[in-house]
Amino acid sequence: MSNYYEELSQSIISGQLDRVKSLTQQAIGAGDNPVDIINQGLIPGMSVVGARFKSGQMYVPEVLMSARAMDAGMQLVKPLILTEDIPSAGKVVIGTVKGDLHDIGKNLVSMMLESAGYTVINVGVDAGPEKFLQAVKEHQPGVIGMSALLTTTMLAMKDTIELLKEEGLRDKVKVIIGGAPISQDFADEIGADGFAPDAGSAADLCKKLLA
Amino acid sequence: MTLSKSQYVRANYQVNATPQLKMLSDDQCENILNGALEVLERTGAEIHSEEALEIFKKGGCWVDGNIVRFPSHLIEWAIRSAPSRIVISNQKGERTLFLEGQNVYYGPGPTNTYTIDPFTGERRRPRKSDTVRAAKVIDALPNISYAMDCGTVMDVTPTLSDVHAFQAMLENTNKPIIHWGFGIDQYQDIIDMAAVVAGGLEALQKNPFILLYSESSPPLRHSAEAIDKAIFAAKNNIPIVYTPCTFAGGVAPATMAATLVIAVADSLVGLVAGQLVRKGSGFVMGGLISTMDMSSTILSYGAAELSLLSAGLTAVARYMKIPMFSTGGCTDSKVIDTQMGLEAAFSILVAGLSGANLIHDCSYMEYGATSSLELMTMDDEIIGMVKRILEGVKVDDEHLALDVINKVGPGGHYLAEDHTMAHFREFWSSSLINRLRYDGWKAEGSKTMGQRVKEKTQDIINNHKPEPKPDHVLREIQAIVDRAEAREANKQ
Ligand code: B12
Repeated sequence: MSNYYEELSQSIISGQLDRVKSLTQQAIGAGDNPVDIINQGLIPGMSVVGARFKSGQMYVPEVLMSARAMDAGMQLVKPLILTEDIPSAGKVVIGTVKGDLHDIGKNLVSMMLESAGYTVINVGVDAGPEKFLQAVKEHQPGVIGMSALLTTTMLAMKDTIELLKEEGLRDKVKVIIGGAPISQDFADEIGADGFAPDAGSAADLCKKLLA
Repeated sequence: MTLSKSQYVRANYQVNATPQLKMLSDDQCENILNGALEVLERTGAEIHSEEALEIFKKGGCWVDGNIVRFPSHLIEWAIRSAPSRIVISNQKGERTLFLEGQNVYYGPGPTNTYTIDPFTGERRRPRKSDTVRAAKVIDALPNISYAMDCGTVMDVTPTLSDVHAFQAMLENTNKPIIHWGFGIDQYQDIIDMAAVVAGGLEALQKNPFILLYSESSPPLRHSAEAIDKAIFAAKNNIPIVYTPCTFAGGVAPATMAATLVIAVADSLVGLVAGQLVRKGSGFVMGGLISTMDMSSTILSYGAAELSLLSAGLTAVARYMKIPMFSTGGCTDSKVIDTQMGLEAAFSILVAGLSGANLIHDCSYMEYGATSSLELMTMDDEIIGMVKRILEGVKVDDEHLALDVINKVGPGGHYLAEDHTMAHFREFWSSSLINRLRYDGWKAEGSKTMGQRVKEKTQDIINNHKPEPKPDHVLREIQAIVDRAEAREANKQ
């Protein structure tokens, strides 16, 4: 047990990348268990960030600075742990649906999920059902997230769900959707497992669904 | 004999015929333009259209995969080659919108995902009948100078939502139309329908009553969908509004100047494409420019920065002598409330003072997600006030009225003066703003602004009769819609 963790958490909260790097390095040098560094130093800091963002005390750019700092720490610790031991809240495949080029919201969700500890596979924009299917087969995520900003493209979300059913994969993965024209009603209508109106609540939603 | 002021000897007399707002000096505009030229020459833009890449290459750009770098001289040529004035007619062929200098025209906005029903208050998906309603309200409101669809209609073939909305507008207003379409096929349908109304394609080109509308993906990225439309419009010699949605902190740096640089650069890409296809084709730059709210992550339509940036962009457009498509009359509020009123009023005023030629989104609620005809009706009133402010203060002998002041003398009143008779109608008088005394207001039902706005909107929808088009025109328009339906059915 080292005394770096409190300061490590604080440095994550204030988004000080270099400080996080050097503290992580010191903790490693002091012989700390790498998994402890993650669970007791890095993640607690990020949890505070998540909570402060939700309550309006922190803004998106600050959250992303913290996420960057967290990632820098992770990169140092990761090589020291077996892949299966790396703490991850879960895997999420995310993309913008076919015909839709809006990706700012989707990218924000993806960054927020990463900062909440998820491993995110981003399949980009204009992603058809096959592309999602492919990613599900390849990465076996717990959740897939689809984003649509157009009322015309949101209808394509259903196609992905149908394809997953046809392939017998629907039970293996939770489907969440979002984007400006999406509502809870629409999610229910097409048989998605969840909807979140913004990036902050997307992380909560994943947590709920994977619990 | 009284001595009038104009008989004095006078030199170097300057007049502010209107109030003055110039967000940026010419030197600042030049600085921003140079920034955009540097970005396009150094960083370049990503272009996702084979046709556009070919055009840029032939035109002398450096093309490296999808990245196109633009030599500054080419852009400067395109700025000079584009017309500094575009005249848009109404659907009867009367030249009505003079997009030149600092003439200002207001209108609503396009393609919202929801609309607020002015009868039930419900927020729901737009239907074709909503665009019919919108067109009627647009037609009736004197300060709304052109039509946009006020929502993507959802109760028709999805890929023809744009074509149906255009039909609904043609059938219910004779004002000019700015319209977005999904793709080139739909753009063709739209031009064909417009040609029917104008009396042939050539008549439409000579006297356009439509502007096509396309959006690029900032920062510095142009989808095939976006740039191909600019090319299509130039080929067909129909003016286009080419507008990135640039928001500070999201798709542009968090500083205002850099956000302007990105917006200008992205507009210039569309400009160059159009001018290379047809020298002198009509181009209007845009458009939507604001900040990202760093808590909710919305692109704010009510931010002070929306006005600040829009006025800045307008100054640069004016410096380049390119007509400008700006934004105002919109809000982040979800309901008809005080926030809506104040955000709409501020942005309408600043956009008006900035001298932007087309000011759109006078119907946008909820950061652009929802349209409201009630907001449009209220904006019409606000625009009336702003236009009065834009009239400025006339300072001449008649308006100085020194003789009248001398005649009435200290302690008198002016109510019964001929001079008052002659001029009091210059006061702006309102239809919706309530200035009754308390008892009068109470006698009329103690209504709030929101209630009066709702009543007026409903009254227009129920009773306004737009001038109808000849039957054969309506039939030909319907035939084009049917043709489009058949084409889309075949694609399935
Ligand atoms: C920026 C923008 C663009 C940019 C996109 C740039 C880019 N790289 O993404 C450009 C200019 C390219 C563009 C183009 C078009 N756009 Co646009 N665009 C917008 C705008 C102004 C903001 C969108 C945005 O980025 N918001 C900020 C982000 C952070 O918010 P967000 O996307 O909502 O995401 C948040 C949540 O929704 C949620 N979320 C998002 N995805 C997901 C996914 C999951 C799984 C979860 C859980 C949550 C979640 O979390 C996010 C973060 O908090 C909106 C207006 C609006 N009010 O939304 C119009 C808007 C979406 N666009 C619209 C339209 C119509 C278009 C165009 C068709 C052209 C046009 N007429 O405007 C083209 C279409 C191009 C295409 N094929 O996709 C309409 C859609 C209307 C409709 N009926 O469908 C809107 C609503 C504007 C309007 N009223 O007309 N657009």
